[in-house]
Amino acid sequence: MEEKKGLAHILAIVPGLAVMVGTLYLLRTFVEPWMKDAVVFGQKGWLVQVLSLNYILLSIIAGIIYRNVFFGGKIPDWAEAGFRTTRLFIKSGVIMLGSLYTLQKLAKVGSIAILLISTFVFGTVFFVIWYGKRIGMERSMIGVMGASCGVCGVSAAVATSPGVNAKPSEVALAIATILGFGIMTMFVSPFIGKALSMSDYQFGAWVGTGILNSGQVLATCLAFNPTFAPGTAVAYGEIWNVVRVISIPFVVFIITTWACKAEAAESCATGEKMSLTKVFKDRFPIFVLGFFGMTALSSLGWLGAEGSNTLHLMRDVMSWIFGIGLVGQGAYIDFRELKRAGGKPLRVGLVAGTLKYVVALIVIMLFVSKDASF
Amino acid sequence: MSDKAKGKMTVFKTDRHEDAAAMVFVSLVVAFVLVYMAYVVPTVTIKPNQDGKLIAIKVQPDQEIKKGDLIYSFEYKDKKFVNGELQEKLAIKDVLASTNGKVLSVGVKEGDALKKGKTNIIVMDHEKGTLP
Repeated sequence: MEEKKGLAHILAIVPGLAVMVGTLYLLRTFVEPWMKDAVVFGQKGWLVQVLSLNYILLSIIAGIIYRNVFFGGKIPDWAEAGFRTTRLFIKSGVIMLGSLYTLQKLAKVGSIAILLISTFVFGTVFFVIWYGKRIGMERSMIGVMGASCGVCGVSAAVATSPGVNAKPSEVALAIATILGFGIMTMFVSPFIGKALSMSDYQFGAWVGTGILNSGQVLATCLAFNPTFAPGTAVAYGEIWNVVRVISIPFVVFIITTWACKAEAAESCATGEKMSLTKVFKDRFPIFVLGFFGMTALSSLGWLGAEGSNTLHLMRDVMSWIFGIGLVGQGAYIDFRELKRAGGKPLRVGLVAGTLKYVVALIVIMLFVSKDASF
Repeated sequence: MSDKAKGKMTVFKTDRHEDAAAMVFVSLVVAFVLVYMAYVVPTVTIKPNQDGKLIAIKVQPDQEIKKGDLIYSFEYKDKKFVNGELQEKLAIKDVLASTNGKVLSVGVKEGDALKKGKTNIIVMDHEKGTLP
């Protein structure tokens, strides 16, 4: 596919984007209301209450069905540019989530989030490096898997790939493995959370630590408690998620430094001296500044009072933005690619992902109080 | 080679451009919502943020209200974790006007059940330039 420019570039986005928006419209207008009223096993709303199926989870499922059933495993050319707006919507949604907090509220849970996230992110990176070497995985694959499992399935894998000389196919495998793992945890986590009587605070902290993708953290939190408001699972989960996203440049630095040291210095992928400042400058995900900007506006009361119609509309728009992004994200989950990933990458992804998920659950249950912080 | 083949998952030149675009996009969305709510929306319907029971309605049609005036009070189940235990108790919440305006109609009476986001409590015309 040739890279289009100008107006043609914008027009190329329309068909795929129309599919994403249209799908979400159908899900929110017809499918979710039908599911709320549908009687299954003699219980009205069983699909929503027991399976935690809401439009957010349905958006991801719809995307998966498009990719794996209707598109035959590859997003067609006519839709590809539109589907590549997926991360724009997810990032925009994360920025808007900043409106759920005030600076004081962030400060209350920020230190716990930083401590937990740092421990789990870097613990996982070191585990993947150790385990990957032990089972004889290629260094470049270890690099992208370490970034994927440690910090963020998609962004970190892409950010780390040039530094470790990873092939596009290795990045795709790492992303497929982690998104596939995330899909499983998305459906299982609400059951575990309810079975263990976790509070919104504990659940948000666990999911924000144990699940590796911004969209999946949001979807899982909303499956547990479908409300966008301060003090709900999604409000807590996203604080953890943002702290995790901020750690991307540090992870890129550590993995690239490790890869450079492991090879001869002259064959270092970037061919230049690594410095944390440079990595930070090049790789810092600046959209999180937008998140803090929204929190600042919320703290000043410029977005309307909590409970006001203005904030209600803002959150409704935000839920649409996330929903559109999640249809697209589902379409990046290709079961054939997951099957191809097989072998060592899949083993590393599953072991590291499960370990992080389970240990995070244990730590949260033991050390994080049920009492909400705000 | 296509962008996808290079492992690119964005329509933008780089991830950094995508980040900047997301911030611009959100700025436009927020500006649109604020301007719409402050100047364009003709009337505002106030609905409850949680389920409960109306215990008092303090406004009536054609009444002028000021920011901070009490509109209604309702009873709800307050669920909170205290020392690791989920405690549930009935509580009362007062809902105040977030802006100046005039009440056009009242859709509830004392004792009515309130459904989160569904029950129309009042319809009001708010002062332009303020956020209802």
